[in-house]
Amino acid sequence: MKNLSLNHLSKTYFDPYAGKHVTAVSDVSLSVNQGEFVAIVGPSGCGKTTILNMIAGFLPVSGGEILLDGQPVSGPGSERGVVFQSFALFPWKTVLDNVGFGPKMRGLSKAECDRIAREYLELAGLANAAERYPNELSGGMQQRVGVVRALANNPEVLLMDEPFASVDAQTRMTLQEELTRIWQERRPTIIFITHDVSEAVFLADRVVVLSKGLVLKELNIDLPRPRVWDALMEDDAFKAMSAQVLQLVRSA
Amino acid sequence: MTHWLHQCWSFYARLTVRFPVVRSIVPFIPVVAFWAIVAQSGVFPPAFLPGPLDVLKSFGTLMYKGILPDYMLDSMVRLLVGTGTGIALGVPLGVLVGLSERARKLLWPLLLFFQAIGDIAWLPILLIWFGFSLTTMTVVIVYTVLFPIVLNTALGVRSVPVVLSRAARSLGASPTGVIWHVVLPGALPNIMTGLRNGLGFGWRALIATEIIVGTSGIGFMMFDARRAGSVVEILLGMVVLGLLWYIVDSWVLAPIERATGQRWGLVSSQQ
Repeated sequence: MKNLSLNHLSKTYFDPYAGKHVTAVSDVSLSVNQGEFVAIVGPSGCGKTTILNMIAGFLPVSGGEILLDGQPVSGPGSERGVVFQSFALFPWKTVLDNVGFGPKMRGLSKAECDRIAREYLELAGLANAAERYPNELSGGMQQRVGVVRALANNPEVLLMDEPFASVDAQTRMTLQEELTRIWQERRPTIIFITHDVSEAVFLADRVVVLSKGLVLKELNIDLPRPRVWDALMEDDAFKAMSAQVLQLVRSA
Repeated sequence: MTHWLHQCWSFYARLTVRFPVVRSIVPFIPVVAFWAIVAQSGVFPPAFLPGPLDVLKSFGTLMYKGILPDYMLDSMVRLLVGTGTGIALGVPLGVLVGLSERARKLLWPLLLFFQAIGDIAWLPILLIWFGFSLTTMTVVIVYTVLFPIVLNTALGVRSVPVVLSRAARSLGASPTGVIWHVVLPGALPNIMTGLRNGLGFGWRALIATEIIVGTSGIGFMMFDARRAGSVVEILLGMVVLGLLWYIVDSWVLAPIERATGQRWGLVSSQQ
């Protein structure tokens, strides 16, 4: 069963400073199975964030199509949850109301929204932060909220745009482990954008290496789960896989 | 010496924490004292420059007669009606101009043009159209309050990070939902700035209008006192103006700002 497919996707836009059209994505085709965890890696400017923004419906496609369960995607929708690099929490809403925002937009009652939000905050170990405002939390906690806020809507696909790039290294490792744990529990399809090769290999079932708007290579990562850093850091298979991906990215 | 001053200051700081009202009163003590000394010294005849006590006495008398409360109420009601209407028109207009490129292109030149025709500049023609009436005063205040609110709201709307609107959309919010849950709260600190400026200008416009149009109100009282040669009442009017504004600011505007933008970390709090 195929869940999400990108067919010959391309994106060009007019750069007013350069005074010419720029190609961000030339021709990308990719199909992602339901429940699969796919990481897209590549150097800056390879078009990975543009692809994610098109899947999310934030940017119109220039060519090709994006199909979710066979239906073309147009505009943003709650079946495609997004986790942003800058967290994008609503500063004027408490953590509880941030997480309950999706359910609220679906028209659920306040009590039901709160119940769902608390359930997901529990999942992320944030039960105590429910009444606080985002600016009162650390970066790591804010992004936990960002992840469960997207999950609370029960999206078919979770789109993550370098979500852990702006937290410190230790917190990042914890967040990565938590994400694999939550993913195994809930099994959403995940498209994870990163420029961090070991992060991609650690998290994903499949790593897609992107270069200059094209898919350079796809690699299956058949490391056993659950994955934890203590075990994988010195694991030969993990190191070999990371080295291979790194080489591809550097050649890109 | 510096050590002693430092101790004095920290005592004052502790006092203001325990009794916040001290913070509002103490800075005025030297001002009032200077005024009293100059008035007492006899440099000016008492009819030219009455002292603080005379003004206080006049305050008591006019309060007792019921004139001052009536006039204060009239002025405040006018300001409130004008400001309320200004907000009701200005915020939606600001959101429109802030969100829509087309609306901005069409309306911006008009906004700048009409903003330049200051409030009082409208009075001559308003007097011909509406006469010496409440309508004239309301129009002037609405006009004055409107522009700072529109321009600041538009600025606030445009400064809301696009990523927040995207987040709301991808969580299932409709375009209206985005305006309500993202754009308006995100623009609130700027809307408050616009409101603060608008109210300040509106307050001045109100007094000026009352002087020209008025049949009541603080501005009218002051101008009427000039005719009667009562400097005491003119000074009283000035003191009341300052006090009323201080009250509006510290009892209405500042608490709203503390509960919103500062609480959310959008604006750093001032101590």
